[in-house]
Amino acid sequence: MNPTAHTSTSAPRTTREQFFARIRTALEHDRTIAPSEPAPVVSDALARTTRATDDLTQRFCEKATAVGMKVRQIVAGDLTRTIGTLLEEIKAKRVVVSVGTVPQAVGLKDSIRRKGIEVVDWAATPGLESQYDTDAGITDVHAAIAESGTMVCCSDAGHSRGLSLVPPVHIAVVRKADILPDLIDWWNKMKAVPPTQWPSSIALITGPSKTADIEGVLVTGVHGPGTVHILVVTDV
Amino acid sequence: MTATQSPPPTPAPTPQPESAAGAAKPHVAPGPPPGHVHPLIVSLPYSIHERADKATADPQLQFFVTRATYYKDQTRKKVFAEVYGERYDQMRELAGNIKQHTLDYLDHYLGEWIDNAEANGVKVHYARDSAEANSICLEIAKANNCKLCVKAKSMVTEETHLLPELEAMGCETVETDLGEFILQIDHDAPSHIVTPMIHKDRVASAKALTAALGVPYNDEPEVIARVARDHLRGKYRKADLGISGGNFLVANTGSVVICTNEGNGRFCTSAPRIHVAFVGIEKVIPGPEHLSVMLKMLARSSTGQPLTVYTHTMTGPKRAHEHDGPEEMHVILIDNGRTEILRKETREMLRCIRCGACLNACPVYRKIGGHAYGAVYSGPIGALITPLFKGLANYKDLPQASSLCGACYEACPVKINIPKYLIQLRTDMVGGKITGLPDRIFYRVWAASLKHSLTYRLGGWAQTTFFRLQAKLSGTLAKGEKYSARGWLKDAPGPVKGWTSQRDMPTPPAASFRNWWDKEHVRSVNPKAAEALKASGAGEAKPAARQH
Repeated sequence: MNPTAHTSTSAPRTTREQFFARIRTALEHDRTIAPSEPAPVVSDALARTTRATDDLTQRFCEKATAVGMKVRQIVAGDLTRTIGTLLEEIKAKRVVVSVGTVPQAVGLKDSIRRKGIEVVDWAATPGLESQYDTDAGITDVHAAIAESGTMVCCSDAGHSRGLSLVPPVHIAVVRKADILPDLIDWWNKMKAVPPTQWPSSIALITGPSKTADIEGVLVTGVHGPGTVHILVVTDV
Repeated sequence: MTATQSPPPTPAPTPQPESAAGAAKPHVAPGPPPGHVHPLIVSLPYSIHERADKATADPQLQFFVTRATYYKDQTRKKVFAEVYGERYDQMRELAGNIKQHTLDYLDHYLGEWIDNAEANGVKVHYARDSAEANSICLEIAKANNCKLCVKAKSMVTEETHLLPELEAMGCETVETDLGEFILQIDHDAPSHIVTPMIHKDRVASAKALTAALGVPYNDEPEVIARVARDHLRGKYRKADLGISGGNFLVANTGSVVICTNEGNGRFCTSAPRIHVAFVGIEKVIPGPEHLSVMLKMLARSSTGQPLTVYTHTMTGPKRAHEHDGPEEMHVILIDNGRTEILRKETREMLRCIRCGACLNACPVYRKIGGHAYGAVYSGPIGALITPLFKGLANYKDLPQASSLCGACYEACPVKINIPKYLIQLRTDMVGGKITGLPDRIFYRVWAASLKHSLTYRLGGWAQTTFFRLQAKLSGTLAKGEKYSARGWLKDAPGPVKGWTSQRDMPTPPAASFRNWWDKEHVRSVNPKAAEALKASGAGEAKPAARQH
């Protein structure tokens, strides 16, 4: 095919108005009208699987383990030491860190450096480039969901999209207070924020990167991290 | 197959090591081998028979497809029983209502989505058909001088057949979903909405990698995945264009949601400078609370997971204060025949969230696999929407490719009454004279004969006599024998040939049930009542069961 065949501007593009005219014809609407009945109500009694009265920490740990993540419950005082041990176990040489919302993690970077492990300043380079040759990403989370063992990682000034995606190992710090009962609770929380102020990326993470494309055999770590450690801090 | 393969017959392209990143070689798309037939591009009108016969005679395909679909179907039932128990059906009802409501007011909700998405900085485009969708994407690629595109799984781009067009304009395009990547380098095409490579085994996958990347042959799934991971990471780092589909559009926030397991979807929508999402207009839902319901149903229906590993909600391009993400986010809204299905009579079909549960539950799909459907969407939902997208006359076998057992309807998380619409399509085919004349005459005669007791009896007698004669001729029914348990009717001639070549039928007994009842039972118990019954004609009530 001739590559230049695509360069000419051919037929004029379909406009929003033309596009909608076809939809309205199919719907037999003369003009776009607001729905005469409200959108279906999502009844809590029906859709919710987990309530605030449930043991959320236990449920979260159970569900996160079930989808293949490695969960430990620790106290805040052990946080730095536990991360250090994990990094030694995987023989990490270079890591990326973003734990700004966890006050108990103050001094984490220094303690990692004292072990001779490089803490890469991902924020100094635009995009994901600085993260490809690292051994682990250590992050806090914006929330966690007990129902499904899910972690919510959003992008913002202090959080790259890549920390929970690019390195082969993801170590996440989840505080007891971060754990919401149900998926419904996370979206309810977000409804309080105007969409124009939503993070451009909200990743709900439920397990290590997985595929079963080849003969149904489960393989982890196909693009994202193959190992996800969750440290649940039970006293904050 | 041994692990030490001789070199592949086709010369392997030079592997591209990381160090070659800077070398600006013009990209040449590797073409398929001569005589290659693309599984999803077929000549029309399409006849299912050749591929279906081939599939049913392929033990490996039968094994893989049956195992994978059966396992997923069982898992779906198990997890919903655990999580929702008796509320499962109400959840399906709710999810179906949410989609139906949004479709009933699609102009309103899609308009709301567009306004919010634009307020978030998304550039929205409108594509009436495949050609326009692809051409919009090519223009974006050209305007930004894109040379390398990483692509996440998207059924809509299969519909529009985008990939060869991008390659032809000089933008190397790489599928990044592991299954799709192997299909791409092997010049094959997906055969299942969710698990595209369900028809392929590890040997074929490993051979494809060896041929395309020049790596040593190794068919361990772990190794195949690692080779692909390393190769594709090199692509993410250099790509300037990322293409994805979209599972949901949230009207009142302007968000696009994609659900993936491998992480390639997040890479494709985060690493490149430009992100283009191809999304069908039917993907919109009103608000985040509805997203909760749809997400709770989607992954569980699909694979039995509570959520897919990565549920990625994207609300505009990289914001000023953020560190990374695409500088530009485009969404191409695609009609491509959807407004035809949107009319009242067929609107319900657009509820589909592409979970694949109906494929997994379908006894026909399990036997013939996805490619036999000759189109992008296979299985029960494909049998329904393909004839509507592409013309009923072009795909007249598909509405017939169902036993109408209803397993698809029971599995559907948005309660699309697939059997009902398949019957509707069959009716349309007869009405529109798409069904052949002999068949139409047969249906007419059959229907007429069922309406009157005399013709009904005559038909029954003719049928019994014919089949008994056939059984006697073939020797499965001995002379004087009323009924033979060992007697199966096989390979009958004439109009029933097609029927009996695929399945065996028991020989009919000499007398019908009603005759037997009249003779042996009713009269002996209560002769008077039997007389009265006969006089009133109530005994002639039509049986509900089908004749064969």
